[in-house]
Order: sequence, then C-alpha cells, then structure tokens
Amino acid sequence: MEYSSAERALLWLCACTDTEERTRAALLRAAGDPERLFRDWEKFSSAVIKSGEKGVYNSSRAARERQADDFLCELRNKGYFAVTPLSDDYPESLRAISPPPLVLYGSGNRALLKERKFCIVGSRITPPWAEKQGRIVSEKISERFAVVTGLAEGGDSAAIEGALPRGKLICVLPNGLDQCYPAGHASLKKKIEGAGLLLSEYPPAVALKKYHFHARNRILAGLSEGVLVLSAGVRSGTLITADFAAEYGRDVFAFPHNLGASQGAGCNELIKKGAYLCTCAEDILSCYGLECAASVREALTPSEERVLNVLREGGELHAALVAERAGMQVFEAIAALSSLEIKNYAVKSGGNRYAAV
Amino acid sequence: MIAKITCYTLSGLEGVPVEVETDVNKGIPAYEMVGLPDTAVKESKERVRSAIKNSGMLFPMHKITVNFAPADIKKEGAIFDLAIAVSLLKASEQLVGADVRDTVFLGELALDGSLRPVNGLLPILISAKGHGYRKFIIPAGNAREARFLGGAEIYPADSLIQVVRQLIGAQPLEALETAEFAVHAGKRSSADLSFVRGQPMARRALEIAVSGGHNLLMVGPPGTGKTMLARCLPTVMPDLTFEEALEITKIHSVAGMLGEEGIITERPFRTPHHTATTVSMCGGGNRSVHPGEISLAHGGVLFLDELPEYKRSTLEALRQPLEDGVITIARSAGVVTYPARFMLCASMNPCPCGNYGSANLTCTCSPAEIRRYRAKVSGPLLDRIDLQVEVDAVAYDDLSSEARAESSASVKERVDDARKIQRNRFEGSALTVNAEMGEREIRGFCKLNAECDAILRAAFEKMKLSARARARIIKVARTIADLDASENIQPKHVYEAVSYRIYDKLG
Repeated sequence: MEYSSAERALLWLCACTDTEERTRAALLRAAGDPERLFRDWEKFSSAVIKSGEKGVYNSSRAARERQADDFLCELRNKGYFAVTPLSDDYPESLRAISPPPLVLYGSGNRALLKERKFCIVGSRITPPWAEKQGRIVSEKISERFAVVTGLAEGGDSAAIEGALPRGKLICVLPNGLDQCYPAGHASLKKKIEGAGLLLSEYPPAVALKKYHFHARNRILAGLSEGVLVLSAGVRSGTLITADFAAEYGRDVFAFPHNLGASQGAGCNELIKKGAYLCTCAEDILSCYGLECAASVREALTPSEERVLNVLREGGELHAALVAERAGMQVFEAIAALSSLEIKNYAVKSGGNRYAAV
Repeated sequence: MIAKITCYTLSGLEGVPVEVETDVNKGIPAYEMVGLPDTAVKESKERVRSAIKNSGMLFPMHKITVNFAPADIKKEGAIFDLAIAVSLLKASEQLVGADVRDTVFLGELALDGSLRPVNGLLPILISAKGHGYRKFIIPAGNAREARFLGGAEIYPADSLIQVVRQLIGAQPLEALETAEFAVHAGKRSSADLSFVRGQPMARRALEIAVSGGHNLLMVGPPGTGKTMLARCLPTVMPDLTFEEALEITKIHSVAGMLGEEGIITERPFRTPHHTATTVSMCGGGNRSVHPGEISLAHGGVLFLDELPEYKRSTLEALRQPLEDGVITIARSAGVVTYPARFMLCASMNPCPCGNYGSANLTCTCSPAEIRRYRAKVSGPLLDRIDLQVEVDAVAYDDLSSEARAESSASVKERVDDARKIQRNRFEGSALTVNAEMGEREIRGFCKLNAECDAILRAAFEKMKLSARARARIIKVARTIADLDASENIQPKHVYEAVSYRIYDKLG
C-alpha cells in the first residue's frame, strides 16, 4: 500500500502527535495543506498550540520522517490500511459529517467502502425476539447494502450474524484495531476481518475510552444511508447514533416494541418523533426503491402451511396455542414449528413462543 | 477351646466373609481382639460382655482371644457382635452339641442381650447365598428386607438368649417366610402428571426423556413448575423389576435408608441441595465408603434444581458416572464400586433474573451476566443432556379450560410401549434404551434417509449446533419414532428432536 506524501503527513499528524481533534483541524487550517504542516511543523505548532498544552514538539524534520516511516511500517506489518479524505475510496458520505475523520484505519475487505451502506444497531440488552428478527432483516439488507454496525453484544451482534455470511459487513470500532472490546468477541472480530471489514478512526494501539463511543456513533451514522434501531432504552447509547443520523439527514428506522418494555422505549420514542416503523427488511428496501430478491424458499407440507397460517393470523403465539388453533397434537405442532424455523418462515422468541417472519 | 463362627462384612455392595475365631484358655484373665478391627468393633467387647451376663450366661474368667480372619481387611461396625458372643459361648463350652458350622450370624447386641438391626444386611445375605451359605441368624429388625431372599433358611431373633435356645435345640426359632415381590406394595407417589396444569411442551419432553432414557434439562423462570414436573418422572418410568429393586434396595440398605417395607418398590427420586459436596454427591467418606446421591438415585432420577448454583467441581464429577453407569471410589479403606445408572434431570433459570425470553416481564440482565450464568454449566456436561426444553408461564385463559391434564398412568403406557420396542431392538446386547447407543449402534439402528439428512444439515447451519449435538439429536429422533411406533426415523421426528436443543440456540 503506497501513501502519497500528503497522506503520509496526515497519518503522522493523527498517529504520532499527541494533538487533539480540534488542534489538528486548527493546524491544518493554518498550514493550508498537510505536507506544508509536516515540513514546517515547528512554525505552525508554535503558532497554534499554546505553550503548556499537549502536542508541542520541537522535533527535527529527520525525526518526523523516521516517526512516519516507522508508523507506516507498523501498519503494513499488521496488515492494516489507512484511508484519508485524500484517498479515492474515502466514503463521500463521511465528508458531510462534522468533524469528518481525518484517518480511518481498516482491516479486511477494503472494497466494501465503495458499496452502499446501511447501519443496523441495537442496545446490548436486546430482547431475544428483536435479536432474531434483527438477524433476519440484516441478512436480507446485506443483499443490497453493506451492513454497518458495532462489535457489541445484543443488537450489534444480531446485525453481524445476519450480514457476515455474505461478507457484506462493516464494523466500526471505538478503539484501535488490534484491541477488542468486548474481549469475548475476539474470535468474532477475526471472522469479520476475514470476511468483512473493520474500521476505526483510532490508531491500532489506542485503548477504549468512554467518549469514543459517541465519536464512533457519528461515523456509523455518517457512513450509512439509513439507520435501523433494533432496540434502545430511553437513555440508550444507540439513540445517539439515531440522533446523528437525523442530523445528517439519513433515514431512521426502528423496530416497534411492546408498551412498557423498557428495552424498547427508546425505539417507540423514535417512531413517535417520526422515524419509520420497520417490521421487515422490505420496509427498508422499498424506501430506497429496491426489491428484496425473492428468496428461494422450500416447499411446505400441509401441516406446516396450517401452522404458518395460524402464526400469521395470531402474531406471536405460544406453541401450545398454535397446536390448539391448528387442531393438532402439541408434538405435531412442535415438529412443524421447528421445521418452519429451519426453513426461515418463523422465529422462536423464547418461552416457547413463535412468530411468523 | 477354640470356636469358629462365620460372619460377614461389606465392601461396597459385596459381602465379604469374616471368620470370628475365639480362643478361651487358661491364664491371667484377659480379653483381646486382633485382626484389624476398628473402634466400633473393639467396643463390641463391652457390649458382648454385658449382653452375655444379662442373658443369664457366664462370661468366662480366662484368657480370651478373639481373632478376625482374614486379617488384612478392615472390619468395621457392630455387625460382628452376635458372632463374637456365640463364638465366646461356644469356646467356653456353654453351647454343648450346637452345630454352628454352616450358619452365618449377623447382628448388633444391646447391653441387655437384645439384637439390634444392622445396615447393609440384604447385600450381605445375597453375597453369602452366592458363597453357598444357606442358614442365617439375623436381627428381627432386619426381617423385612431379608424376606425377599428365596432359597435360604433365615431365622430372625430378638435376643441373644433366643439364639442360644435355637442352637441348643431348646426352643427352635421360626424360619422367615419368603415374600413375593410386588411393585405396588408401596404407597402411591404423591406426585402425578394429572396435577400438572398446562406445560404441554415440557410434558412431551418428559415423556420422550423417560421413553429413551435421555437426560433432561428444563429451562424456565422460577415458579413455573419445573420441580413439580421432575417429581412426576418416577411415576411415568417403567415398573421396577425384582432384580432392579433388589439392586436399589442393596444400595439403600448399605446407606441405612430402608423404610418400613424392607425393599424399595418405587424408583428413587433424589434432590441433593445445591450446596452438596462432591463426596456427598458421588460417595466416599472418612473411613468407610458410603454411597453418594448418584448411587442412591440408581434406577431412578437425580434432580438437580438450579443447576448453575452447584459447585463446578461437583457437576464435573458427574460426567464419568453419567457415561459409565458406575462410580468407583478409592479411599484408604479400599476401592469400592457402586452402581450409578440414573436419569439426570436438571433445571435452571434462563438468566440470573429469570425473565429472559419472557412474554410479559422484562429481563434486566446484561449479555455478559447471562453468559457468565450459563457458563457455570460446562459444555461437556450439557452435551450429556439430550433434551433441553423451555418451561414457561403460559396464560391459561387462552387454552380451553376443560382440557384435562393426562395422568401419569396413561403416559406410562406409551412409555412402556416405546421401551418394549427398544428391548426388542437391543436384544442380545447390553443396551436397554436408546440413550445408551454409541456411534456404532446409531449407524446400525438410526438410518436417516436423504430427506432427514438434509434437514439435519440445514438445522446445523441455522442453529450452529456442535458436532456432538448431532448424535444426541439422532438418538432423540429415534426415541420419538419409537413413541410413534414408526420403524424408520421420519422428517417430523428429526424436526421435533431438533427443537429440544434450545440451549445450543440460546447461547
């Protein structure tokens, strides 16, 4: 991977100096372009950075060159690439957000940056039914979009599981690419690296900070044409992503939840404020004038048909009720429901309840 | 003069003959016991002395030596009292003309000369009969368990003096009449499936589990009737055969847990508390080796309520007996093997707060908490549980109210039919139920047609099942087919079997 000297200067600025976001923007404004800043660092840094603040470096030009070379070498060794606003494949949609990330580090399938992107997120505490439905929606969305999400448990994981088989998945991390949070997702992270794409605006070794989530969420929303919220409490961090999306003029979709269910109150609130109510992938795709490819579905036996009709009429139903309404023995209904689940006609939502998809 | 009397001690469930030799000789009066007796045996010195005196006989004022042979095994307990007393009387020539050669004397003596019942009498009698002994004198308190041993002369006695009168022919004892084994001799269990309202899914899983001898895990919020369901398990299990009953009775006899009837007629249901130690679960002890809960549950059900609350090490210790059906315990007192072929039934909450997946209540647990909770039960243990079913609080208003719950008896009929099919299938092999099938038997008896194979493959991809789950699903499908009286495994059987792997899916 070759970087232009301007890109190299940007990478050095972001990774090798201790400057803050705000300072970096001021420095670039003062210098006009990154190469000049790199060349005459002493001049601009002493003008922009107040003494006593972080980031004052009296480094020599040679030292800066060495730092930049070392860092590029490190990136190469780890197999990471970096995308800057100067790169061809820097996502256009990111330029609209403020502040746009100066550098995005990535690992995995770089071509995904050029795909259409749609964001699916959910809080860590997501009810089982929302996880399952989210997985199905994510799977269908991934036919047409690259699914953008985080790496957390719950809603994010559901989105990951849905999109991973097609490999059309972008996970944006709130920490450096060689860190993993939550730690239990290390193997999942590796899979995503292999099949999809990991992105982060932080250099590899940067550890997670609480405020990174907020900054990361702006990238999630910024990358995507729309955001689907699977679940969110009233104070959930997931809502931040939705707020950013609204701010950037992206479409916001949300799953409807039961009244009084605290894990879904945020979603209902979004819908009240004007977010699209989403019950299936078609709701989203039709918004963009797309059609879901008619999935090849397996044929059903008569008893499976009967059970499916009962489910479609009754919504989420307990297996015993399904059996009663379909007029069959419980064990026959169990077999039919299990078959519908495997054939993707129904989902099991815990407590022996099933719903049609 | 020297007298030799035969007695027995226990090593696990096996009776071991012990020769009690007493030598009464001239010399300074003394009373010694040799041959590896433990404290309880040494104390019998004083019990025997008092019992003899209080029975109106003479305690010889000579040099007395009592030897237990063979000398290399540890003797414990008070079971030798009667044998010591009789040999002492014989050696001091107070039992003129009595023939004690082929008789086994068993029992503990009280100071007044009466005989007290001992633990583990039934296994001793069975072993001794196997060794060729036919005549036994036992405490009257043990008569109830002894009457099931046919083909032997058993004389229950209340006191030492009765034994002496029998031996010298003054007043013969009445031989014990052999009782016929009847399953329903005992009281009916208080649990019955007809008391369980609703729970059709769990009931079905229970039926399959018992039919095929599968282990069962019930996952559900507190107060949904998991314990009640588990208690019904023994009521739908097949009746005990005499051999099974005898085996179970032997274990309970060794543990000193036989009730009034003297024989166990119902399948045991053991519910050790979750604070149970590994020793209390698997057996062991300081000096002697006691059977643990898993052996007491032999032939019946071991119910572990709130599975994740048990100590990890205790649960892990269950893995080997679950596989082998026996437990071998090594202690300084020796190595003992107890049978431990039980059905494991466990229950747990879906998450720490219990509401995960509930229709009406909100779960407040974080994913990490749920994962930690479930990780307390190890994968290898879960792999040995074929059926996992959700037990839920269902709103009964929706169900037709007159739907009467089926009783245990009618479920049991179906179970019996399914077991009969399995007995025919496994004729000539050591297996009895589907759950015991190994890889070879699965290949032989559980042929899957192409359609079923495709379903399994789809289920694997969809549910990300572990490879080990495959064999479990096939075995359960076989049992479901047996309940359906179907020769081959059909797609619907596979579908149903797949639905009982909820734990793989929850995770």
